[in-house]
Amino acid sequence: MKWARIMAIAFLLVVSAASLLANFVAPASYAHQFRDVPDAAPSRQHLLGTDDLGRDRFSRVLYGTRVSLLLAPAAALLASVLAALVGGIAGFVGGWVERCVMAATDLFLSLPWLFLLITVRALLPLNVSPVTSVVITFALLGCLGWAGAARVVCADARALSQSDFVLLARASGSAGIRLLWHHLVPNLKPVLYAQFWISVPVFMIAEANLGILGLGVAEPLPSWGSLLRELESFSTISGQPWQFVPLILLIVVVSSFHLVLTQEELPV
Amino acid sequence: MDALLSLRVSGGYSGKPGVMRDLALELREREILGLVGQSGCGKSTLALAILKLLHLKGGKVEGSIRLKGRELMALGEREMRALRGSEIGLVLQSPMSSLNPALRIGTQLEEAWRVHRRGTHEECRRALLERLENVSLPAEPGFLKRYPSQLSVGQAQRVLIAMAVLHRPALLIADEPTSALDLITQSEILQLFASVRRQFGMTILYISHDLLSVATISDRMAVMHQGEIVECRPTAEIFREPAHPYTQELIRALPVVPQLAAAAGK
Amino acid sequence: MRQRWVRIVLLILAVLSTGIALAQSGGELRFCLRSDPKTFNPLLMADDASETVRYLTGGVLMRLNRLTQEAEPELATSWKVSDGGKTITLKLRDGVRFSDGTPLSSDDVAYTVQQLMDPALHSPTGDAFRSGEGRVITRVLGKNRITITFPAPIAGLDKLFDQVAIMSAKSPQKEMAVLGPYYVAENKAGAYLILKRNPNYWKHDSSGRQLPYIDSVRLEIQQNRDIETLRLERGEIDFINSIDAEYYDKVMAQNPAMAHDAGISLDAEFMWFNQVPTSPLPAYKKAWFTSTNFRRAISEAINREDLVRIAFRGRAHPAAGPVSPGNKFWFNSKLQPHPFDQKSALQRLAQDGFHLQDGVLHDRDGHMVEFSIVTNAGNKYRERMATMIQQDLSGIGIKLNVVTLDFPSLIERMTRTFDYEACLLGLVNTDLDPNSQMNVWLSSSDNHQWNPSQKTPATAWEAEIDKLMRAQASALDAKQRKQYFDQVQEIAWEQEPFIYLVNKDALSAVSPSVRNVHPVVLRPQVYWNIDELSLGSEVARNK
Ligand SMILES: Nc1ncnc2c1ncn2[C@@H]1O[C@H](COP(=O)(O)OP(=O)(O)O)[C@@H](O)[C@H]1O
Ligand SMILES: [Mg+2]
Repeated sequence: MKWARIMAIAFLLVVSAASLLANFVAPASYAHQFRDVPDAAPSRQHLLGTDDLGRDRFSRVLYGTRVSLLLAPAAALLASVLAALVGGIAGFVGGWVERCVMAATDLFLSLPWLFLLITVRALLPLNVSPVTSVVITFALLGCLGWAGAARVVCADARALSQSDFVLLARASGSAGIRLLWHHLVPNLKPVLYAQFWISVPVFMIAEANLGILGLGVAEPLPSWGSLLRELESFSTISGQPWQFVPLILLIVVVSSFHLVLTQEELPV
Repeated sequence: MDALLSLRVSGGYSGKPGVMRDLALELREREILGLVGQSGCGKSTLALAILKLLHLKGGKVEGSIRLKGRELMALGEREMRALRGSEIGLVLQSPMSSLNPALRIGTQLEEAWRVHRRGTHEECRRALLERLENVSLPAEPGFLKRYPSQLSVGQAQRVLIAMAVLHRPALLIADEPTSALDLITQSEILQLFASVRRQFGMTILYISHDLLSVATISDRMAVMHQGEIVECRPTAEIFREPAHPYTQELIRALPVVPQLAAAAGK
Repeated sequence: MRQRWVRIVLLILAVLSTGIALAQSGGELRFCLRSDPKTFNPLLMADDASETVRYLTGGVLMRLNRLTQEAEPELATSWKVSDGGKTITLKLRDGVRFSDGTPLSSDDVAYTVQQLMDPALHSPTGDAFRSGEGRVITRVLGKNRITITFPAPIAGLDKLFDQVAIMSAKSPQKEMAVLGPYYVAENKAGAYLILKRNPNYWKHDSSGRQLPYIDSVRLEIQQNRDIETLRLERGEIDFINSIDAEYYDKVMAQNPAMAHDAGISLDAEFMWFNQVPTSPLPAYKKAWFTSTNFRRAISEAINREDLVRIAFRGRAHPAAGPVSPGNKFWFNSKLQPHPFDQKSALQRLAQDGFHLQDGVLHDRDGHMVEFSIVTNAGNKYRERMATMIQQDLSGIGIKLNVVTLDFPSLIERMTRTFDYEACLLGLVNTDLDPNSQMNVWLSSSDNHQWNPSQKTPATAWEAEIDKLMRAQASALDAKQRKQYFDQVQEIAWEQEPFIYLVNKDALSAVSPSVRNVHPVVLRPQVYWNIDELSLGSEVARNK
């Protein structure tokens, strides 16, 4: 277990360093199309081959990792904080506040998000740089992804707010935000962590799907989502296993994070 | 002797009205008043009513509760908050569930301290260690670092008592503080209450369904039955000649009648 | 009593004869439809699935031969267009009967045409015939002769009858009585359709055998393209009419006999700039987009050969203009695709005062040249093209932002808000005749995408196109029409309101067990000669 953790930490360090230093590490620009060698197999020039437009896949993976590694957790954090606030307060206050908030959450969950996202895209100006588009995308995901988690958090917060130790805290004069922050939030941490780690890969994949709606990361900037979209047409990639590298990277990075953080942060 | 607390209340829950029916009780300065009654007769309801926290459980209360001459029923939530913990302390039945499992002991105590005090970390630390000493717990920083799961039940209850007396409240309400403990720990905790009263000179409302522990510790004893206090006199007197039929029944149910000379009589 | 005997004998004979036919040809041809046909009334059909059914079951007066792209006699053995294109006189084939046995007469043709033109029925097929106000007059001259007079002249009248399946005026089966090679025998909504050979089909092969060779056609309803390809690989269906380049390559690698490339299709991919004067774009951008030099420069800065080679895996051709070379008659063969030439592009831009500054193109007033191109999300080829154009244009210092939108928002921007700068789309052409492009080229039309619904033509060249399009529509002589339309193509090439990029190839995959297939670019690519297709055994295929 200890070994696994050390490996995970080392792996994450290498990946983050490589992606942060992509400008120096990457052998080519993520956007440059080597039009003489589209869909190439791995070679010395192109470690992971090239994509359908001849762009160096290794470089794209590096840059894409940077984008997703920074933004998906940021979006997940945003979603978890919103979930903690909404769910936590609703469960904590209880009564009609809880009923109203949860009804609103249910409504929020049942909204046709695709259409709303499309509307949002329609409202955005067309000439936005790819970097802005990716930030907007993840910010949107963060703003929309809280509802499911909020339900879970709310149920937990309700149970907690009826517990003896919260009663006792109240009897000691604690109340309101103070009580919420010092007594409820620490106990909600495991749930929030879980929600956070569920959201990270979900957001990465959601970003990929949004690309199909025209909402994702704009060309030519790569993200794990757009790299994963290469795997869409399964029938034509089976002969090119190196195309799976982004997928494997996603899986390994998410599980490494999980391994490192759950052990460090959770009490008990 | 002056009355520290005097109350006359009625109240209950929407599903169960009339848990307290014009219930009257008086606590004097520095006394330990034992409140006995069958399980489910409304003792805890009364405890929460005094703290004005009964609404948390969906209950309602009306009447009058005077603490040191102040009418609590007339106070707003903000003023009540200032009283809770500083003027009235509370200890609950189950020490394990009364401590927040996610927080270190030190954090919980510090939080309780900071609710009513401002001060440096050092001042706080000193206050906490002093209280640990008051309740005969190891007064060392290492202890403060522990999580509740690393304590024994008896230690946990001591921590809770330390927390309840942190601000030297005038009134300490202990709601069945020993019911969840084994016999040896029980007697240790009982002694601790006596010692706390001695050290801080506070009034204790000691609630229990267990007549024997009440007999050991209390100066006076109140018997609650069907929403009323049917009898409230010095403990020894009640044991000697219980007046109310319900009290008589309670005492008759005891295997032995305790010798009370030592515990009472102050 | 005796009559009954005769009937039984006839029945046995009939059974025997079909048995013999089975032994010789028979079999079932299977392929997929995207959806259920919306209707079986051939005059009301507008969706793909219904049109497939109409092609397989309907009998028409004349058929556009999909290979030669010429009209050929079918139920009409001869015809004459007169009266300046208003009137057509037809002679019908003798002894033709509907699938239920009802004989065909000129009354049926009159009935069909009246239905077709009935304003109350709103036949989509009829739209092509509605060139003017008034009623259609049908005069039955005899059992086999009929004259039809339309209210106004119609250019290319005879070829339009390719779409009109003749219905019976008398048959109790109504539209289910058909004259084509098959009739609908079973329809399981959402699952499949079974067509059986029409026992009364009039056509015979050269050896005198009645067509079609294949006994039945099973049409599976299958929305999912991936499942469709899977089923083809498993041998559960016999062909896919239209496949994409990636899948073509895969089929080619695995089983070259299955892959068919019929050559340049009529479909075109193109981009255009928003030239709407009331659009919310800043004035300086409007000035760019309405400049011919600017459009020509962009066109020359795009490497069409690369688009073909990379985005389409070589299964396409650089496009020259609005008519694909796949449209044999109407294509203006003088036109060549605009060559990739960045130097020339920069020269053209310089004429308009554009200049490079640190590698970035600026206009006369110092605005950086940056614009966005919208295309519909989810189309792999367009996304690839857009990204390639992005790199191409960066070669002349232009920053292009690629924006993929869902179709409804794209249409909204294109047709209502005009809030876009450039758009990349494709056009699926099903019709050879320039009349079908009338609504694109007339400046007053809603579909004049770059600047729709103009009160008066915004430019001289648009006015010229208007004039030429009207002229070709009213000319009757095909040569004359072609001359006019050639000029339209030349103006379009010169002005590039649409920058044509590529014409895709018509690709299909057909199981080798289907014999006599000659996929073509016109729909229905694979089974246009359905009555001559046959199914061979696996063994036969292997030798
Ligand atoms: N939240 C509540 N809602 C409704 N009834 C309650 C609630 N809490 C306690 N009761 C009822 O009120 C009565 C008094 O309960 P309690 O004060 O807890 O009794 P005790 O502490 O003397 O055992 C019991 O009969 C109990 O069932
Ligand atoms: Mg109780």
